[in-house]
Amino acid sequence: MDNKTIANPHVHYGAQKSATRLFLLQRLTGAVNILFVLFLVWMAVRLAGTERTEMLDVLGNPVVAILFSLLIANVCVHMRNGMNEVIEDYVHDSRLVSLSRLLNIFFALAVGIVAIGSLLKLAFGG
Amino acid sequence: MTTRSRPISPHLQVYRFTLTMAMSIMHRITGIANYAGMLLLALWLLCAAVGPEALGTANGVLDSWFGQLVLFGYTWSLFHHMLGGLRHFVWDAGHGYDPAGREWLVRINLLGSLVLTLLVWAIFVWF
Repeated sequence: MDNKTIANPHVHYGAQKSATRLFLLQRLTGAVNILFVLFLVWMAVRLAGTERTEMLDVLGNPVVAILFSLLIANVCVHMRNGMNEVIEDYVHDSRLVSLSRLLNIFFALAVGIVAIGSLLKLAFGG
Repeated sequence: MTTRSRPISPHLQVYRFTLTMAMSIMHRITGIANYAGMLLLALWLLCAAVGPEALGTANGVLDSWFGQLVLFGYTWSLFHHMLGGLRHFVWDAGHGYDPAGREWLVRINLLGSLVLTLLVWAIFVWF
């Protein structure tokens, strides 16, 4: 690569203009995840090994169910972006990158849909 | 628009081992572990949604020694990644780049994650 190309302000690095947005999004979702960790610990302690009726009782509270759903959705965005960074670092073949990213998005979506879907079923009385 | 490739640097093997480096790697490893751990949460909720028998099976698996080991590891991994994220917030704000500051940050990170994990398990599980 010659100096002329490097000096050209219209030349962008790989991730181009989305890099700053992803940087901020990862920190924003990360900050919200502090709440998720605390909430999850409370949830696990409250519901570990309990009967299903007890779970219905706790998750039947709309504040709990809605907050939990939003936090899970937030986690899914954070973990998708995080895994994307890992993929960018270690996968170099461009077709394999596309495939890995697709699987990553699929995994994050699947986790989110299964978790929130199940949560809502329990929240609405099982 | 021309896209030029990103600059590359040598990988791990050429560097001297340092605590900050190890903790950087740990941040990534715990992130990946949390990624996998979310599957556990999704499956646990799914089992609960399916019915009492499925929930019983899930609770049985989580109650086994292996399940407890995984949950203990998951707790530590979550706390470690969370404190690691806070450490990055400190760095993002422009603080803690000096040798003493960064060493202090990573030590607090490691110690804090262990203390938090043991506290949660001691208070809610063991005693």
